[in-house]
Amino acid sequence: MKKLRFYFALWMAKAVRLAMRLLGRNASYLPGKLAVKLCPDILAHIIPPKTVIAVTGTNGKTTVSNLLTSLLRKSGYTVANNALGSNIQGGVVAALLENATLSGRVKTDAAVLEVDERSSLLVYGDLKPDYLVCTNVMRDSIKRNAHPGFIRYLLDKAIPAGTKLILNGDDLICAELAPQCAERTYFGIQAEAPEGAPDLEGLDLVYCPHCGGKLEAEYLRYDHIGRMRCPSCGHASPAPDFLVTEICREAGTVAISQDGQPQTYKLLNDNIVNIYNQCCVVAVLSRLGLSPEKIAAGLDTVEIVKSRYDHVESGGLKITMQSAKGQNPDACARSFQYVADQPGENKAVFFLIDDKGDSQGSSENPCWIYDCDYSPLAHPSISQLVFSGPRCLDQQLRALIAGVPQEKIALWPSFQGGGHLVDTEKCRDIYILYDVYLDKEALSVKKALLEKEAGK
Amino acid sequence: MTAEILFPEICGLYGDAYNGKYLAMACPQWDFHYTPFTEEPYFATHPVDLLYIGAMTEDAQRRVLEKLRPFKARLEELIDAGVPILATGNASELFAREIDFITEGVKVQGLGIFDVTVKTDLFRRFNGKVLGDMGGRTVVGFKSQFSFLYGDNTDSYFLKCVRGVGLNPASKLEGLRKKNLICTQLLGPLLVLNPDFCAYFLGLAGVEAQLPYPQAARAAFDQRVKEFSDPKIQFGHNR
Repeated sequence: MKKLRFYFALWMAKAVRLAMRLLGRNASYLPGKLAVKLCPDILAHIIPPKTVIAVTGTNGKTTVSNLLTSLLRKSGYTVANNALGSNIQGGVVAALLENATLSGRVKTDAAVLEVDERSSLLVYGDLKPDYLVCTNVMRDSIKRNAHPGFIRYLLDKAIPAGTKLILNGDDLICAELAPQCAERTYFGIQAEAPEGAPDLEGLDLVYCPHCGGKLEAEYLRYDHIGRMRCPSCGHASPAPDFLVTEICREAGTVAISQDGQPQTYKLLNDNIVNIYNQCCVVAVLSRLGLSPEKIAAGLDTVEIVKSRYDHVESGGLKITMQSAKGQNPDACARSFQYVADQPGENKAVFFLIDDKGDSQGSSENPCWIYDCDYSPLAHPSISQLVFSGPRCLDQQLRALIAGVPQEKIALWPSFQGGGHLVDTEKCRDIYILYDVYLDKEALSVKKALLEKEAGK
Repeated sequence: MTAEILFPEICGLYGDAYNGKYLAMACPQWDFHYTPFTEEPYFATHPVDLLYIGAMTEDAQRRVLEKLRPFKARLEELIDAGVPILATGNASELFAREIDFITEGVKVQGLGIFDVTVKTDLFRRFNGKVLGDMGGRTVVGFKSQFSFLYGDNTDSYFLKCVRGVGLNPASKLEGLRKKNLICTQLLGPLLVLNPDFCAYFLGLAGVEAQLPYPQAARAAFDQRVKEFSDPKIQFGHNR
């Protein structure tokens, strides 16, 4: 009976997918959602490919999934993935069914599945990944994810004991995930370690998870990402198996050592967050058996997708677009820090980081902007901040509290337009920071700025 | 004047750290004590004019309860003396009679200042908004929580909900109040979002403070009140 229900769900989903594709739709979620509705344990019946890699974590899972899929394909693998669809249960099912035979066997060599942390129990209950990659566990939308302790609770409950883990060793919350899993690989960054031992107040990890003693940070790169140690019991961040030992921005290279053996790779992006992502990708591919030389050759041919990062120059006007994932304090803070860290003066920053969904029939909870470090925006190299969107007044107050002078702030209460407020006479280095659901609006601002420049 | 911010390293979740920081910006001449969790609360052995504690994880909530339990009598003394005390988010739940952590199957005794109980379910998260009336003052805030409180607060509420839910979905009376102890699940951060309430709370300590960035704070507040008064705006749902 169970099998009959599975086949019915599988074939219905395939039929719906075919119909949607004929209508020119992506069909990357709805067929999966329908299949789950018809057969709630459908993941238990699908015959998975030889290698299933689940990618989760607060920040970076899309980038890592996309890079892994791309590099595996370049290495000759056939790969099922949910890059075009949703990362919740329906999207995962849709991706697998898309590549499944009529009997439910996934035909590809591997599946790279981005999985939302909140969907862990629904997905890993029936689909046991061979590898689970966790990029980090940080604060995210409080509406869904509450706090990192809650996410860790969910992941600990959900991850099957036999799964091999590939974890960020510089994130002690992430590194401690799922103690039931014995095979663990850690990645981290040693190069450019900040100096000084910062205070841990306000971080999501202040006290030792083992003995309750106050943790000490050897250094922190951002939030709780860095190296920590408990002086009371000696518990500490694990030694990474894959370690970034050198970042050479001028040459555009990064050295990553595996078990002490360094290998130089093309630096995909010099944002520290993306260096973690790149190191993570190298670790996964190595564990899958790819040689460092093969990984290096693959990395030479890929880029971080432009929907996440893009840079153009026109007539001396530089425009950098960076996705900043609204309601995610850490992702936004990293983008703010990235802008502050870039060389140059008279930068302008255009913000599209309010929540698009909450702007329709709701009013966004601004808690997260107070969990986010806005102090980089007070950097003297930043001459103008343009906050656009319905929460621009909240953004203004937050920026003022962070020390940004009032005269540097301009407000535009809509997601549409606002580019004309950017002072392109004074500011020739413009950053557009945008939530992933506001990419079209961000592109419109970029287009308007380029047209204004061309018309000068 | 002396203010104490309790356990800021773990009780500043959901932006609540900025309640304390905003107070400190409003009262630069005050002596602020930021007591870490590893130390005895300053109020235990010293007079304080204001006390604040913010939201925390559910695990931290259990540990904070044990930390404060030995000082229950001293807290009651401060409450009786009319010292302004504000507990926001799930810090408000510390003052209940009992917290029932349904998911883990654990019940923990609260400080018992109010005869209400808390039910915490990690698989049921509630997100909502509140447009409230506190004795003629408009207060706005947000709820993002795993818990609801149950019990009778008709004589001990913080504010009446014009829109949104109070202690629980069946209640229109939000929070708990005893003299100048105000316990509310509202987030925001509450003091930053509500310049009138922030001035009122500081007034309970006998201070007429100049709030930081008053025009920007007022503009954001006015816009939020306008939005929350719009009948098209949704006020709460579970995820």
